[in-house]
Amino acid sequence: MNQTAIEDAKPIERNNSDDPLNDPNYKTVGEVTVPNAAMTTKNVDVYYGDKQAIYNVSLDVGKNEVLAMIGPSGCGKSTFLRCLNRMNDTIDICRIEGDIRLDGEDIYSRNMDVVLLRARVGMVFQKPNPFPKSVYDNVAYGVNLHGLSRSKSDLDDIVEDALKRAGLWDEVSDRLNQPGTGLSGGQQQRLCIARAIAISPEIILMDEPCSALDPIATAKIEELIDELSKHYSICIVTHSMQQAARVSQRTAYFHLGKLIEVGATDIIFTNPSHRLTEGYITGRFG
Amino acid sequence: MNEGHIVKRFDQEIEHLNSLILEMGQLAISQLAEAQESLANEDPEQAYNIIARDSKLNDLDSQSNDEIIRLIAKRQPVARDLRELIAIGKIVSDLERAGDEARKIAGLTIRFFEPGKKPPSDEILSDIHQLAEYVCKMLQLSMNSFGEQNMKIAGKVVKRGLKLDGQLQSIIRRLTTFIMEDPRNIGHFIDIVLGIRALERFGGHAKNIAGHIVFIQTGEDLRHVADDEFLKSIGKH
Repeated sequence: MNQTAIEDAKPIERNNSDDPLNDPNYKTVGEVTVPNAAMTTKNVDVYYGDKQAIYNVSLDVGKNEVLAMIGPSGCGKSTFLRCLNRMNDTIDICRIEGDIRLDGEDIYSRNMDVVLLRARVGMVFQKPNPFPKSVYDNVAYGVNLHGLSRSKSDLDDIVEDALKRAGLWDEVSDRLNQPGTGLSGGQQQRLCIARAIAISPEIILMDEPCSALDPIATAKIEELIDELSKHYSICIVTHSMQQAARVSQRTAYFHLGKLIEVGATDIIFTNPSHRLTEGYITGRFG
Repeated sequence: MNEGHIVKRFDQEIEHLNSLILEMGQLAISQLAEAQESLANEDPEQAYNIIARDSKLNDLDSQSNDEIIRLIAKRQPVARDLRELIAIGKIVSDLERAGDEARKIAGLTIRFFEPGKKPPSDEILSDIHQLAEYVCKMLQLSMNSFGEQNMKIAGKVVKRGLKLDGQLQSIIRRLTTFIMEDPRNIGHFIDIVLGIRALERFGGHAKNIAGHIVFIQTGEDLRHVADDEFLKSIGKH
């Protein structure tokens, strides 16, 4: 037995910079790339006018994975999420630098059709926002817009399939012609998810999809996320640590516009490497 | 991570739980120290008191477990907080069992020194005294390590555990010579070997606790690794 084992051991290297914002060379802790990426992002900077909101973020979204993005308010996680389907284009003062690719294709290239991009990268928002149309028309709208059905019966099939995948069919099959806005909050959110998946996206972005829902409706959405991940990649921004832990396979922690740490959710929530991640998820700072 | 939680109540609850554990630790240590004293004083009455006091450890065990379940349900801890609560649950079990081992030593006093019994010679008993002091010190170090969340002290516990193994082997060898000299010692020999086994387990619980401290600090589960690896792992952090 070597009595000096403690002294001889090689120290574990940790990147524990407390002030990543002032560290221009800050490198995200963990593996930002994945072998089977549906979307890749490299060195992404986002500015609102003169103010920089995102600093040099690189992060891949794997195929059929649920990637959770967490962090305090204002850390840039929603801003980053909105870069992934060019939702930030609607903000005049917003400027994006870096490289974001969907299946190897630069989504910010001049040739990219933004409407088509948003069909391939669907989005579900914090507050359910069904169109003021019937349940059926809400789901059929995008399908018609992109010309994805060959006939009325084909459209019927797509709508039914989307509602089934969203776990809503049994609850609305007898009232497809009633207004979508008449459904409960949780049903409306699942309707929005049905609307997003009806046009067969590759990735679904979810920005706080359960923050306006009660625990039962939240559980249904979480169950749905699990089911949907068999067919799609999902990026979810959430303020609920437990939700991130429950639904995702990978978790990314943002802080002051930087991606501090990314890793397997199981590790992030039991033994994170960066003290800022630990501090945030254990409720030691806000 | 020394920074407190935003919810101060959570810190207070963990602090309260820690104080229960420290109380349990001190009780387990004093139980063994007094059991050894009862043996030295040849005092069965003191031994009966020690056995009766074991229920206090059982109460603290139940109280701590209730507190842990309540904290997990209410605070939904993650990362270090989660590790700490899980590890404390295991530390509680180790301390409760250490108390059971101390009770066995008190049982020896009753067995040897109740009126009408023929006690063993001081020479045969000397090993029990020496070993009891040694493992008491191990648990004391473990509790210091817990109180200060200090892995270096945990390392000292493991080093003492290594020496303990050697001591046990030489004690058994020595006791064997007593039997060979006078086979009538066999009855006492069996009792004393069982006592030594109890003390060995007491030391084992102290070592387990040291492992739990490392788990809290680093997330590494060192329960099933060799002592050498254990010490190396502490040195890495």
